[in-house]
Amino acid sequence: MDNNFLVIENISKSFGDNKVLENINLNISKSEFFGLLGSSGSGKTTLLRILGGFEKPDTGRVILDGTDITNLEPFERPLNYMFQSYALFPHLNVFNNLAFGIKENFTQKEIEINVRNIAELLSIEHLLNRRIKQLSGGEQQRVALGRCLIKKPKLLLLDEPLAALDKKLRSKTQLELTTLQKKLKITFVFVTHDQEEAMSLSDRMAIMKNGLILECSSPEEIYENPKSLYTANFIGIANIIEIYKKDENFYSDDLGINFKLNKELKNTKTNILLRPEKIKIQSMNNLKTSSFNSFSGEILEKSYLGSFTRYEIKIKNMIISVLDQNFNSNSNYNFPKGEKVICIWESESIKVLED
Amino acid sequence: MKNKLFEKYFVFSPYFWLVLFFFIPLAIIFKISISVSEWGMPPYQDIFLFDNGFKINTTFENYVYIFSDYYYIGSFVNSLILALISTFFCLLIGFPLAFYIATSNIRLRNILLVLVVIPFWSSFLLRVYAWKIILQNNGILNVILLNLGITSEPLQLLYNQYAVIMGIVYTYLPLMILPLYGYLNKFDLNLIEASKDLGLNRIKTFFKVILPLSVPGIVAGSLLVFIPVVGEFIIPEMLGGSDRLYYGKILWEEFFVNRNWPGASALAFSGIIILVLPIVIFQILYSRWSQKNEI
Repeated sequence: MDNNFLVIENISKSFGDNKVLENINLNISKSEFFGLLGSSGSGKTTLLRILGGFEKPDTGRVILDGTDITNLEPFERPLNYMFQSYALFPHLNVFNNLAFGIKENFTQKEIEINVRNIAELLSIEHLLNRRIKQLSGGEQQRVALGRCLIKKPKLLLLDEPLAALDKKLRSKTQLELTTLQKKLKITFVFVTHDQEEAMSLSDRMAIMKNGLILECSSPEEIYENPKSLYTANFIGIANIIEIYKKDENFYSDDLGINFKLNKELKNTKTNILLRPEKIKIQSMNNLKTSSFNSFSGEILEKSYLGSFTRYEIKIKNMIISVLDQNFNSNSNYNFPKGEKVICIWESESIKVLED
Repeated sequence: MKNKLFEKYFVFSPYFWLVLFFFIPLAIIFKISISVSEWGMPPYQDIFLFDNGFKINTTFENYVYIFSDYYYIGSFVNSLILALISTFFCLLIGFPLAFYIATSNIRLRNILLVLVVIPFWSSFLLRVYAWKIILQNNGILNVILLNLGITSEPLQLLYNQYAVIMGIVYTYLPLMILPLYGYLNKFDLNLIEASKDLGLNRIKTFFKVILPLSVPGIVAGSLLVFIPVVGEFIIPEMLGGSDRLYYGKILWEEFFVNRNWPGASALAFSGIIILVLPIVIFQILYSRWSQKNEI
């Protein structure tokens, strides 16, 4: 795979005194679905706007398919940008919105054919004569997508592509978007603040914070083996435990228990991550307590989530979250509030965070 | 019930205003325009006579008189042309300004808006008179041009139609900028970026996106300039020469110099009808069109 299809090189950008992006480097492959995930103010949208040509970077280069596009105007770039608000033209109907970008270079007949094809692809053939205000949010999103795809761009940039949709429609559209992207093999780069959205759409994703890229990897890798404390907390639910070296083992003051780690540590003090679904919860009388990789605590809160039950378990000075899959259809399977339980985990499930 | 009554009157208050200050004066002017002129005060006869039984004393002579003399029609045409040219230049200057104001940051925007409105704080007459001082033969502009050696003798800048157009554009520019700003203020700038992203350069983006979406603002600003300029009297009087006669000036002369009230009223009434009727029709067609196009 061509790993250098889109190269972002040393991009920095400031607005006045406010440093928005600092020395960003990214390589994105052809046909990759790439996510930029960060909270507001992380610089993710500015980076996307630089790729679109709406902002000029202070330093650095953007190279797309071997061509330096850093100084090209938006209308000279072989890529398209889908706006969060969709930015559909209210004075034109759906047909003319779709045809907007190809009117210049095509004959009337070619335009017809292209618009029909793209409308068919997105199942919006029946909307072609509608005005924009007569469309639902989901329909508008399709028109905005179609308006970009009709230009057959090398790269499609999407700013919060699903944020304006309601929750049910969002998960449906998520699936459609990935199927479409795999079918068309166009490189997609999108921005989101929603970690679930980033996880489900991306082939790879970058976590951004304060103008920096903290981590860039596949969703699985980022979830299972986050490098930083920020990422661990940002993606999914995280139990972060501070441990330090005590004799041969590691000890947590908050939990009052020993941890056995598989690998050696550089520091004598560190944070570890224990994902809630990696913890098994068992009743007190079922098991002998061992001193390593387990603790006993009291169930403080529980919320039934259908396929899972989420417990908040208090032990010494800390509350640990545990997700327990509801294997059994028996409703008594759940542990009641206030019950004393034992939690155990595999030592491989403990992830050491670097900072 | 009391509230309902209040609402009812509140809704109708613009109509009261319109009747009081537009239709009643218009009716009075129409009445005078169809009466017979005579020497005296007022210089026209009553339209209803009761001396020897009831008699209606009206005439359309005044209308026949003004429509058969090109002096009157010509001056009205001159005024229409003047209004068209002035509106065009107001739009040409006002649109980029309004767009710039609407898209600049909030602090700069407020400063610029105040700058647009500031001229209204001084007397309109004084401002036009100031132009007279700037443009006259030994005025500031000519002195500068002479000293720079651009011309060897003073240019005749004043007392011609160009001075009139300049004075009108200067005076009426805020009336173009403010409604345009009010509309462009709501403009979604993402639409411009979307157009560029889809491959249209700045000029094409202007004609395909910005201009069509600004039509309501352009219409409002243009009407606000065009209508009063047709009847404009003071600016042509102060800055204009004898090369061109305008409607407002003729009206003034007919009324105050010739003391031909019925003739002047006929002229005024015809002017209003000729001007208002097409605009009303245009407004009806336009509101239908914009409803259809949802602009």
